[in-house]
Amino acid sequence: METLKILYVEDDQRAASEVQEMAAGRGDIVVWENSGSGGLLRAGMEKFDVIILDRMLGDLDGLTILKRLRESGVGTPVLMLSALGRTTDRAEGLDAGADDYLAKPFEAQELLARLRALHRRAVGREHSAVILYGAFECHVKARTAFRDNRHLSLSPREFELFRYFMENAGEVVTREMLLQDVWNMSFDPQTNVVDVNVGRMRRKLEDGFKSPALETIWGSGYRLLDGR
Amino acid sequence: MTDQTIRSTLDASARKAVDVDLAGLADIHATSGPDELKRRIADRLAITPRDGSAPHYMLTDAGGAVLAGDIRRWPELDPSVSESGTITVGEGTSAYARATQLAPDLRLLVARETADNGALRQHVAIVFLGGGALFVLLVGALGKLAAGRLHWRIQRINDAFRESDDDRLIAMRPRGRSDEIDELTGHSAAALVRQKRLVEAYRDTSDQIAHEIRTPLMHLDGRLTKALAADPGEAVATRLLEGRADIKRLVAMLESLLDIAASKARQGDRHGLKRFDLSEMATRICELYADSAEESGHLFTWDIAPGIRFDGEEMQLTQLVTNLLDNAFKYVPSGGSVHLSLAAGPVLTVADDGPGIGEADREKVFRRFYRSPGDAAGSPGSGLGLALAKAIAERHDLSIAVAPSERSATFVVRAREA
Repeated sequence: METLKILYVEDDQRAASEVQEMAAGRGDIVVWENSGSGGLLRAGMEKFDVIILDRMLGDLDGLTILKRLRESGVGTPVLMLSALGRTTDRAEGLDAGADDYLAKPFEAQELLARLRALHRRAVGREHSAVILYGAFECHVKARTAFRDNRHLSLSPREFELFRYFMENAGEVVTREMLLQDVWNMSFDPQTNVVDVNVGRMRRKLEDGFKSPALETIWGSGYRLLDGR
Repeated sequence: MTDQTIRSTLDASARKAVDVDLAGLADIHATSGPDELKRRIADRLAITPRDGSAPHYMLTDAGGAVLAGDIRRWPELDPSVSESGTITVGEGTSAYARATQLAPDLRLLVARETADNGALRQHVAIVFLGGGALFVLLVGALGKLAAGRLHWRIQRINDAFRESDDDRLIAMRPRGRSDEIDELTGHSAAALVRQKRLVEAYRDTSDQIAHEIRTPLMHLDGRLTKALAADPGEAVATRLLEGRADIKRLVAMLESLLDIAASKARQGDRHGLKRFDLSEMATRICELYADSAEESGHLFTWDIAPGIRFDGEEMQLTQLVTNLLDNAFKYVPSGGSVHLSLAAGPVLTVADDGPGIGEADREKVFRRFYRSPGDAAGSPGSGLGLALAKAIAERHDLSIAVAPSERSATFVVRAREA
């Protein structure tokens, strides 16, 4: 798996070390800056694959840093991280030019999965016509899916879900990611809509095959397996 | 009225002229005798006055023979008491006249025309109409100017209410001269500044609360995740997962509370509302819920009119609809049905055939942390779903209510009546 060089601007040392620890396990490099001005300086000097910006910092707020970065021509994808999770805060962050927004408390796994998705988008690899992963094939334009060359009969909604798993193949996909990216919801409904929808798709991916298609990560979400 | 005034003024002047003339002629008779009097009468008749109030005379002897003047018939005026009155001279011309007895055998009648003031009245009318028109034009122009200025000043207040940015508020501060509108402008600016400060203060406080609570919760969640990663065995893992679920619930509750407060603070504020397709949003949510409804044994149907567009925060309205659906699926037992409909207006209805909501509870269900008496103590949910739905509805100028029914519950969201 490709490793990422990440700049993390965060004044909470514990959050920073947790992310660093998790990232190191996957070979990613996290450069930590504990102040807004330090982060701004670093982003201007070095090249990073992605930048994580905390929204509330002691000196400069995340939105200001983002604005300055963009003004000075730094186009690196930015994920805004914030303890403000309200829907309006999220919209504000994205309107200000952040490429993604994640509310605290977050799972380090989700953060890293999102960073990878951001990086993929930035280097223009996310819209390929066919996504291949293990035994799975996702034909984006034709909207068809295959496992071991066998056609999978998915409904349009199930196909969207499958495509999202294929785009994040091998990564943990959390409930929050699915809600936000597939169904455009920034909150978790009380009804177990995510589990049910994933469960239905999963049955179609596994029907007639011996090995499982998805792994359930308890309390977090799912991971697409290679299906072999 | 002007005509009447002109008439009475002219009549008065004719009366005065007659009396002065008569006195003059009586004087001439007394000092110079009847022959001089006749000459003077002839002289006066020879001159045609410019104002049209021509004089007329009659001098007769006791027998009634006309000695001088142009009136041929003595009117019914008694000269012995110097009677005066209106008579007719010539061909129907009205005149004011006074008769007097100068000597036992000599009586004099002096008359002056009064009726022919048409020219004067026309003249006066032209002056009045012209002046009036000019006056009306002038007043109109001044009025327009004043109205325009007033409009601009009120527009400024309205603009500031619509979008109260700092520049607008500074421009609204009264400068020197002040009238009622300046005062209103000043009060409006002060109210807006106060409102802005309150909203800012509220935001700062809630941001701090969010930050200060979320950060330790995140650390706690991190510890539980690490403990889980260390393969603690099934029993411990279950407890750890429950702990993580509790953290999620706490965060969700905090978010709901902050969202309720934010929505309430922004009630009636149209900033940040964007037009979007409500029908599309509702369809997407229904499709998302379809599978889980089937799984839980509910009959879930929907009837959505296409192309209904609405100015709002899409995410918030998504939450409103999902909260109503969550509520329905929570209370309707398996085998029951839930129906969502969206019609133009917009009117959104979520109806079910579950146990329903008693009349006493129909208002209370929208209160924060309210639990209906029949609610199982351990049932999931924060008790904030409907309170948040109401706050979101009101922030979008929508009303939300439980429609009266014996059994089953029907929630109706619609545009508020003005």
